[in-house]
Amino acid sequence: MFKYAFCTLTLFLSCNLNLTLGQSQQDLREEENIYNQIFNAQLKLTDGKTTTIHGLAEREPLIIAFVFTRCSGLCSPYLLQLKESLRALSRDNSKPYNVLVLSFDPEDSLSDMSYMARQFDLLNDKKWLFAVTNNITSLNKSVGFHPVWNPAIKQFDHDALLVGVNSQGYICKKLFGIRSEKDISLLISSINNEYTPTYQLPSNTNLFSCFKYDPLTGKNKPGFGLLFIALPAILTIVILIGIRIWARPDKKLNSGVTS
Amino acid sequence: MENIRLRKITAIWIVAVLVLFVAAITLGIIMRLNQAAIMKLSPAGFYENMTVHGLTMIGIWFVAGMAAVNFIMERYVKTSYSANLFAFIFTVIGVILLWVSAFVGKFHAGWTFLYPLPLRPLWDSWSIVLFLVSLSILGVGWLVWTVSLMAALLRKYSISQVFAWQHIGNKNPEIETPPFVLISMISLLGVLTSLIAAVVVLVLLFWEFFSNGTFSNDPLLMKNLTYYFGHTIANEMLYLGLAVIYELFAEISGRPKWKTTWYVAIAWNLTLFFVLAAFLHHMYMDFAQPQSLQLIGQFASYLASLPSAAVTVFSIIVAVYRTKIKWSMANLLFIIGTCGWIIGGVGALIDATISNNFVLHNTLWVPAHFHTYNAMGNVLFSLGFFYWFSVQYSKSEVTNKLQSLKIALLILGGIGFLAAFYIAGADSIPRRYSNYPAELAAGKSYALLGAVSAIIYLIAILMFFVNISRRCLSMLFAR
Amino acid sequence: MQHSILIFFAILTLVIVGVFVYVYLSSVNANEESKGMKNALHKRGWFLLILVVVLAMFASITIPKSPYFAFANDTPAKVIHVAAGQFYFMMSYNAIDPKNPSSDPSIEVPVNQVVEFRVTSLDVNHNFGIYNDKNVLIAQTQAMPGYVNRLRYKFTTPGDYNIFCLEYCGSGHQVMRSSFTVK
Ligand code: HEM
Ligand SMILES: [Cu+2]
Repeated sequence: MFKYAFCTLTLFLSCNLNLTLGQSQQDLREEENIYNQIFNAQLKLTDGKTTTIHGLAEREPLIIAFVFTRCSGLCSPYLLQLKESLRALSRDNSKPYNVLVLSFDPEDSLSDMSYMARQFDLLNDKKWLFAVTNNITSLNKSVGFHPVWNPAIKQFDHDALLVGVNSQGYICKKLFGIRSEKDISLLISSINNEYTPTYQLPSNTNLFSCFKYDPLTGKNKPGFGLLFIALPAILTIVILIGIRIWARPDKKLNSGVTS
Repeated sequence: MENIRLRKITAIWIVAVLVLFVAAITLGIIMRLNQAAIMKLSPAGFYENMTVHGLTMIGIWFVAGMAAVNFIMERYVKTSYSANLFAFIFTVIGVILLWVSAFVGKFHAGWTFLYPLPLRPLWDSWSIVLFLVSLSILGVGWLVWTVSLMAALLRKYSISQVFAWQHIGNKNPEIETPPFVLISMISLLGVLTSLIAAVVVLVLLFWEFFSNGTFSNDPLLMKNLTYYFGHTIANEMLYLGLAVIYELFAEISGRPKWKTTWYVAIAWNLTLFFVLAAFLHHMYMDFAQPQSLQLIGQFASYLASLPSAAVTVFSIIVAVYRTKIKWSMANLLFIIGTCGWIIGGVGALIDATISNNFVLHNTLWVPAHFHTYNAMGNVLFSLGFFYWFSVQYSKSEVTNKLQSLKIALLILGGIGFLAAFYIAGADSIPRRYSNYPAELAAGKSYALLGAVSAIIYLIAILMFFVNISRRCLSMLFAR
Repeated sequence: MQHSILIFFAILTLVIVGVFVYVYLSSVNANEESKGMKNALHKRGWFLLILVVVLAMFASITIPKSPYFAFANDTPAKVIHVAAGQFYFMMSYNAIDPKNPSSDPSIEVPVNQVVEFRVTSLDVNHNFGIYNDKNVLIAQTQAMPGYVNRLRYKFTTPGDYNIFCLEYCGSGHQVMRSSFTVK
């Protein structure tokens, strides 16, 4: 029986060995400015209206994406990816949000932004707002975004940054880089003030953990490790039945049951 | 004769358990004296002491329950003498290696050896290997014993009979399952599960240790598994003691034997499941654990108390209330132990409430409650059995001198020792501190009270020890 | 909180001991004609029912007070990052880099506002236990390597607060501590 337990175990483990989790490495800058109020920049929207970031956030929690229209690098793929991810996530309507695509390039005009919106086929999407602002320096500072102008190539060196702002105007989550659907969904949850008392750090060495946080549902999903917790109970039942089958031949004693 | 062999090995178990008990209590008193700043151990010395104390205590009261169950089980089925002997030899070897790994190898990760602490370079690497090997040896010995006792029962009873399912919904079934058989089976199953969990933990630890950094475990999984093992074995060993009480209480009291009824059957079947889920209450302060499991932990802990309170405790009260009984040392110990068991259970339920756990977790409240149902519960169950056994099968006559003194010292010492833990726990004093910082200096006074009371408790235990082991030894050398 | 728990426990203990002494004495004083308990099954049922009701009440009162639900709808005024290690706590207003950990020399926390501690460990399991200036444990969460636990709390009295480690972590466990100020 002991051997059986051991074999099953080894089997389990060797299956899992081929699995890697492929999680992104944690970017510490994402922990900066969290729960600070975002600078209340004045915005000019492509429909001609003017408003402020807090004003917008009050209507619906905001995802802010920082771009500039002359960008020949990151901005396009990153916006496209965001659009795709949000489309894929659109099933869940209980967590509202708007996306504010904001230019950090003082040279960008409103028509540049309209043009960009049209390019991405987002001009008439109510969830998407394209805007420019005069307060970009203060805004950048308040979210920890540091683009640097590189005159040699006439481009900004910059990160892809998403900032999540809840309806009270507080920064709840930041994402650097082009990120998975799961991370985007975690962002949407957090700007809707959904509190999960924990999160897992990315790691490459853990082959199995009990639970995987699933941002789609906001719940922890059972991971491979859970099998290990079930294992002792399952093996106990197997052994119980095993013993009974193996021990049955002893019929003689059965006569004395009622003693 | 067959039975003589079983008697002798049971007598050996009893003497070994009592010797180790006295030694481990001494370690406990040393810890309390160190916390009271009367003795001065190095911190590492204290924690070696603590690791050995915890594991030795868990080990001996587990085997004490097993030995008692094995002895009584022979009344119903044929048990394996060799498995019993095998377990004894493995237990002795395991305990010796354990003590060596801690006191020579300086291993001191606590009795729960929570991952990843054992693998940290705080001690020589041979001592971690020796420690894991010693636990593996204990595990193998106990697994074999457990499986052999289960096999003994299953050779005679079918699965539905051994769980007394035929009693549910049928007042007078054709075949009766004695309560002892039902409860030992339920406990043995729980023991088996917890031992398998221990095997999984050990395999994962060994694996990481020998992988040279290519493999590492998930700390949350390891913690769940650790308490799956630790919590469960600590609970199930109590149930082994209860199985003995179901068998012996009426017999010693000169009353008709207890029978399995539908509610006894249902209660114990349910207990099996609740107890296996209750370990989750050890992870309350790990916010990483999913909330659903946290809530299951609280509900399972609450539910686990219902069958024991409404069936076992109530049955004992019914058996005693306004009933003329032959009171002897053995059934007195049983009933005091039952009382201690419930009080410890109440302490446990309070701590198994998440919002209380927030301010009690890992304070001295934790040792407070588990020492209650061990030192004033399970120990007394086993002591009652030891006493009954030694009187029943030895020829030396029984003297009732000092009986009330022994009981009085036991209760007095026990109350003081436990109160010191409870009050300190409610006063936010952390558990597992070799010395208390200035802010928590109150812990020192509680420790002193604990040490003095524990010495009183030890005196009572020494009196039992002399009395019982003299008779057991005479049994061993009798022809 | 802890003191009411202790008193509650003491009362229950006295009741239990009282019942056992009473039952024991009733047996000692019994004679041959005594009939034991009448209607035992009936009483057992009532006992169970009362127990279930009491426990259910207890659960429904206490579960909403679990720390996982505390201040879930608030936006904390401040985040304090905590990284525990053998045998120290690092606390910082900024995220702590596990490869190059560093801490802020002193930590101040606003009074009467929700703050969030993001607690993790750099080696073994530790526990972040917060003690107020009367040395009463008021909140805690585990520090587990690989996970970040978010503990939210609102301090209502200014003063110096101590942190003690509440998960055994090796031979320096009892000296592992830190502190912060609530203003
Ligand atoms: C009068 C007898 C006893 C004394 C004086 C004693 C004393 C102690 C002390 C001082 C501690 C450390 C508390 C702390 O965390 O600061 C401790 C822990 C412990 N004791 Fe006892 N104890 C006694 C009986 C028992 C019994 C009967 C058991 C039975 C199972 C037991 C099991 C344990 C365990 C499992 C631990 C935890 C060890 C750890 O934290 O790793 N003790 N005991
Ligand atoms: Cu510690």
